[in-house]
Amino acid sequence: MSGDASVLRASGSGEQAGRGVWAGLALWLLAAMLLSGVAFFLSSYYNDVYRKLLLWVALALSYNFLFGISGQIAFSHFAFYGIGAYSVVILLFQANLPLPLAIVLGVLLCVVLALVVAIPSTRLEGFYLGLATLAFAQLFLVVLNEGGSVTGGAGGLANYRLPPVFGMHLTGPWYTVVIVVVTLATFAILLRLDRSWFGRACRAIQDNEVAAAAMGVNVARTKIIVFTVTSALAGIAGMVYAFVDNTVNPPIFGLENAFLILFMVIVGGSGRHAGAIIGAVLLYLLPFVLSPLIGHHHALVFGVVMLGVILFQPKGLIGIYDSLRGRRRAAAGKAPG
Amino acid sequence: MSAVAGSTPATAPALLEVRGLSKRFGGLVAVSDLDFEVLPGEILGLIGPNGAGKTTTFSMIAGSLGASSGAIRLAGEPILGLPPHQIAARGIMRTFQHNMPFPSMSVAENVLVGMHCGFRGGLWRVMLGGRAAQSAEAAGRSRAGELVDFVGLREFRHAGVASLSFGQGRLLETARALAGEPKLMLFDEPAAGLTLAECARLADIIRGIAARGISVLLIEHDMHFLLRLVQRVVVLNFGRKIADGLPHEIQDNAAVREAYLGAPGALAAGT
Repeated sequence: MSGDASVLRASGSGEQAGRGVWAGLALWLLAAMLLSGVAFFLSSYYNDVYRKLLLWVALALSYNFLFGISGQIAFSHFAFYGIGAYSVVILLFQANLPLPLAIVLGVLLCVVLALVVAIPSTRLEGFYLGLATLAFAQLFLVVLNEGGSVTGGAGGLANYRLPPVFGMHLTGPWYTVVIVVVTLATFAILLRLDRSWFGRACRAIQDNEVAAAAMGVNVARTKIIVFTVTSALAGIAGMVYAFVDNTVNPPIFGLENAFLILFMVIVGGSGRHAGAIIGAVLLYLLPFVLSPLIGHHHALVFGVVMLGVILFQPKGLIGIYDSLRGRRRAAAGKAPG
Repeated sequence: MSAVAGSTPATAPALLEVRGLSKRFGGLVAVSDLDFEVLPGEILGLIGPNGAGKTTTFSMIAGSLGASSGAIRLAGEPILGLPPHQIAARGIMRTFQHNMPFPSMSVAENVLVGMHCGFRGGLWRVMLGGRAAQSAEAAGRSRAGELVDFVGLREFRHAGVASLSFGQGRLLETARALAGEPKLMLFDEPAAGLTLAECARLADIIRGIAARGISVLLIEHDMHFLLRLVQRVVVLNFGRKIADGLPHEIQDNAAVREAYLGAPGALAAGT
């Protein structure tokens, strides 16, 4: 017996964690200041682009946790974004509720709907979960179109403005600051979940459900929690979106967006936070860069990029970075990490 | 039932009790009225020819298969019919005959998954990034490192599981199960596919586990490995227990020789 047997008992050594909390907080604050600062140097057009970019990043990050980390092939993510947007507008301007209450009820609605979808869906896997969530997304669009005066039907709801928050009118770059905070908070929550026992349980389930259960992971419960948390995060992003264009209507929440998020995560690198960010930035900005050059043919470039990544870099663009880093480490004579 | 007399000290309370356990698949009786117990800190071997019901019994204890009748108790608590994750939470951790690592994770992270039930503190705490959650995580990581070292995979701590050989994968399975701080460890044919040196290493580790008071139940084909490792053997044939005793008693048991080995003298090769 080589190892001394004391390792079979639990030992505790986490004193350094306290310092990590403060260093981490400082880093998040710095990121918030930098990303917010950018907004004050942008014209109102580019502020609009920047805001939507940030929201796509938030969506891609939460979808990455659902699809890339937990392995749930769901197409309902963008529908929850729409549910968040519509619910906050309806609660504020149709039900005339105060803003904090509208936000809380909107999140609650997302949580309840997510549970309604997730609890029966835990019996489904892969393709069938995809179908069930696709049906849900389709149903959402039907409700929007047929919702009469509540949802505004095909024309949606418009001509509303964000009520003052603590007496302040958040407009222009200041509203972009709100979006930066929501996006970073989404990232922080997902990162903490990922780096905990919960994130490992999610990855374990994706890898091998039988082995995960044998390790004590409640597979069904974990799947339901992941679906609910990520859907609620999408809903919160949607609530913030409602005051970006100050209009919500069915075409904005079209089904094609569900696939765009999926592509963002796959192109960037499924299961990786950095990958989701890269994928969202790249695929969102691609049309802006290409449209002036080649017009509508940018869709073709999009298709070619997708195919190229899937065929030659299935781990996504972050996979290229990984292999470059691996090669540099190998060259430096260290063991590959 | 031809249990060898005096093999089970009646005084020690059993950790795991299997009572009248039966499993029928349609007309086929896989396990029939099985009784045995695992004592605290004991290494018990469950053997029998192919189709004797070993794997069925194992699956019923691990929660992956229901029983037709009978009872299984862990420290007096009934556990039969609980799903696998609750069996694990109650202190029974297992390894798989065909290694089932989590391929997207490093060796140390695989072991951390084994600690799943040990992490307390809800999701809100995790999401808010409290100090308690972070220190629990740090403590878990250092303990996972110790367990990886314990099974002799120190240089693979941060390596992906793809870099492990089959035998090293079996050691990882052991460390991962051990991480759950089990009362009872179940090994499903642990020697299958291992080299002689790897078998010896694994036997040392299993003895070390039992020495810490953790009971071990293993089902195994490899007599050479099993009889030198276990303190007691339960022999199954056609779903029934035909013997229960010390390894040397089992080797001398005529019924076992006939049923399990067919030809007399074959067990001698294992000694």
